[in-house]
Formats: sequence, structure tokens, C-alpha cells
Amino acid sequence: MIVDISLPLLVNFDFSVVRESLFQDTIVSGARNTLMISALAQLLGIGMGVIAAVARNLRIPVASQVASLYIWFFRGTPLLVQLIFWFSAMPQLAPNDFSLWIFTVRHDWFLLSPFYAALIGLSINEGAYMAEIVRSGIESIEKGQMDAAKALGMTNLQAMRHVILPQAARVTIPPTGNEFIAMLKNSSLANVIAYPELLYESQKVYHRNFRILELLTVASLWYLFFTTMFSVLQAELEARLRPEEERRGFFAMIGRAISAPPALQGDRR
Amino acid sequence: MSDAEGAMVRIIDVHKRFGRNEILKGVSFDVARGEVVVILGPSGSGKSTLLRLISHLDPLNGGRIYVNGHLVGYEERDGKLHPLGDAASSRSRADVGMVFQRFNLFPHLDALANVTSAPIHVRGVAKKQALERGTELLRLVGLGEKLHAYPSQLSGGQQQRVAIARALAMDPKVMLFDEATSALDPELVGEVLEVMKLLARDGMTMITVTHEMGFAREVADRVMLMDGGVIVETNTPAAFFDHPQHERTRSFLSKIL
Repeated sequence: MIVDISLPLLVNFDFSVVRESLFQDTIVSGARNTLMISALAQLLGIGMGVIAAVARNLRIPVASQVASLYIWFFRGTPLLVQLIFWFSAMPQLAPNDFSLWIFTVRHDWFLLSPFYAALIGLSINEGAYMAEIVRSGIESIEKGQMDAAKALGMTNLQAMRHVILPQAARVTIPPTGNEFIAMLKNSSLANVIAYPELLYESQKVYHRNFRILELLTVASLWYLFFTTMFSVLQAELEARLRPEEERRGFFAMIGRAISAPPALQGDRR
Repeated sequence: MSDAEGAMVRIIDVHKRFGRNEILKGVSFDVARGEVVVILGPSGSGKSTLLRLISHLDPLNGGRIYVNGHLVGYEERDGKLHPLGDAASSRSRADVGMVFQRFNLFPHLDALANVTSAPIHVRGVAKKQALERGTELLRLVGLGEKLHAYPSQLSGGQQQRVAIARALAMDPKVMLFDEATSALDPELVGEVLEVMKLLARDGMTMITVTHEMGFAREVADRVMLMDGGVIVETNTPAAFFDHPQHERTRSFLSKIL
């Protein structure tokens, strides 16, 4: 009886479609774009997060308030809304060319390509989360380090650059790895602004052949490949940061990646 | 202020509060060039606070501090003090070397990099010269063999000697020692005191907060007792220890000797 119900489902799933699509040019190029935009957005996000965290920690006038506002706003609104804003709402900010003092502001400056809209949207959103991660890293460094740096004549920024941030980076690496793994998945939201990433390209294929189930399987296999690969890398990196623990070798590496799934739990937004 | 011949450090009526708690209630004294001053006193008397003010790690609430003729951390306009910006106050701090109770070495840098980081990044010294000078200073404190050891690989006494070399690398006009041996195991105290004596003999101007009475008696030019936020008594070591003038000095000495 049970077989009767489930059989049509299984019969309709065509493995050959999965096999053929997995490495077809469109899908591979989508996977490449997913990886590229995620890496770029993560790097920019780290940069913005460091700047925002330092501005707040040193209580730099104006910059500190701007940073707080930035973090509050971009953590408090959905990433999807932000992406649509950059792509669709930005052009409406300047419907025509207009002049500002001695400059002419041109309408097309506000027209972002899907790539730039996705990159800006993902990285600015990421920066707000990274700012909190970097902040907790900075706060984990004992106060005597800042005293010693300042007693040696370093300015606040020199102390940050040469003493505090290098130490905070250590603490910041594991949560940053989680962020990147979440970024790989969140980049799929850029399909709504027509950036040709993995999900967008998969959809393009199934809009032609209606093999939705198979193509979503293909996309998921690529996402799983990326997230697993970076979880393994992250686990290895974290192990290296704990030199007292001598757990080396490939199987120990895989074991850590599978037994320590926090990296896969980065979903939110 | 150009009486550079006179005082290397001038402390004039310095006040410091934390909230409503008044830690320093008007402290004044001068330290001559090459002089070694030891400050004794019970904990909470304001000794460490005073050192933190001289190196301008904390702001003043009243009074003035001059090092080598320059007002530390402030500029005076129309008889009023205005705090210096970050860059200028950092420059004024670079002339004052500070050694902390808990060493505060940079754990991500090896001994030599700890010593050379400020000369390179603050003074703009060429890397090659900084490394040569750093090596020389680490040899001076007896750590010529430990140039590339990380702080976690060094004993407390070795770490504190690296910290002294690190402060010396900035060619400070005055060295402040804030209970530099208090966090050390007893058998490691001697090696740090030896380095401090070496500096004193070499003519370094030093202000030392310590509980090491032997060091005070042997090395100090002047010994002070600080209690309740004021300097109670100042004298030569011999007079201070053998003929204390004040009742509070007598009772402090009777407790620790």
C-alpha cells in the first residue's frame, strides 16, 4: 500500500537530469558566481565591520554614531529588502540628472547592475554583522594591552592596528567562518535581482524543462559541496589556532567538520 | 618651562578623583635628572594612580605634570589646561617609559618584535636599525638568547625584563616602574631588580613604586611615603628607614620590616 503512494514520486525523479545538469555550463557558471560574490562580499564586509567596530570602540566622534546607526539599520531590516532596494529603489532616488552645488549628479549613477547591487547589498549587510563580531573580539583583549601600547607612544589607531586587532583576529576567525558559510547560502537571495548566481541559473534551466525537483537538487548539491568544503577548512584553521591540541590528519579533519556542525547553523535573516 | 637643568619631572599639586572617590589630594614633588625616587605606601594610597598620570594613561583632575619641561597630555592657554588630541598626547607619552606589574607584553609578537614595534611604528626607525638596537637591549637585560621567544614561552622574570627593554627602546627621559616585581615568584624578583639597578647606575631617571625595601635602601636617592593620597614623608633612604620623622612612616615601616 505504502509503495503505491510513494512510487509516483520516485518515478518522477529523474536522476539522469541531475547528472546531466550538475556540470552543465550554465550551472557551473552560476556556482562560480555564487563563490565569487560570496568571497568578495565577505571580504568587503570584514573591512566595513572592522572600521565600524574600531570607530565605536575608540568612540571617534561622529564616526562612532554613524557606525551605531549603520549596525542598527542593516541588522534590523531583511537582507532581501536591502537587495531589492539597491537594485530597484536606488534609481528612483534620482529620476533625472540634477545639479548639486558645482557637480552634476547623473541619473545613471544610481542604476546598479545586478552584480554591483548584489555585491553592495550583501557586503553592507555583512559588515553590520561583522562589526559585532569584531567588537566582541576587541573587547576580549585585556585592558593592559591598550595601556602598554599607549605607554609606548602609540596613538589609538596605531594601538588598534599593531596590538589589539591582530590579537582580536584570532578570536574572530571562527565566527567569521560561520559568517562566510551563511553568506554562501544567503547569496541565493540575489536571484530576485537577476544576478546569475547558482539558484538563478538553476531556475533558468527549470523554466525551460520544468524539472524543478531535479534542478533544485543540483543547486543544493553545489551549496552542500561549498559549505562542507569551507566547514572542513574552518575546522582545520581553528585546530591550528589551538596548537596544544595535536589532532592532525585527513580523517581527523573530516571528523571535526562533521562532529562540529555549528558552522552549518549560521542561518538567520 | 625651560629649567631643564633642574627637574626632569615636576609634579605640581596633582589631584585625581574616580567618581566621588578622591585618590590624589594634591601631590607635588620634583625629580631631578638621573635621580631615582622610590615611592612606598599601603595599597590604595594612590601610588599607581600617580604613575598612570605621569604617563598620561588617565586624565588629571587638577594640577600639572611636566616631563623634561613639557606639560604632559595638556596644553596651557590663558592659564587653563586643554587636553591634547590623540596624536599630540601620544607623542608626549613616548618620552615616558612605563613598566607594569603584569608585564603586558604583546603575546602575538616575539621578544624582539615586542621591543621593536614602537620604535618602528611610532618613531619611524628603519627596521634594520630597530632590530639591531632591540637585540642590543635584550642582551643588556640578559635575554640575548631569547630574541625569538614568545611571551608565553618566557618566565615572569624574563617577561618583565623584555618589558623593560621594550620601554627602553623608545629612549625615554624617565622610567616608571609600577610594582614591577609584585607579580613575580620570589626567586625571580632578583633578576628584575638587577636590571633596575643597572639602569639606575647608568643615570636613568626613575620613579619606582615597589614593596622591595632592600632596593629602596640600596638604590634610591630619595624615598617617599604616600598614604591617603598625599606624600607623607620624603627623605634620603638612610634617614627614611633609620630615623622616620612621621608617625605614619614609623607605623608603616613597623608593619613591613
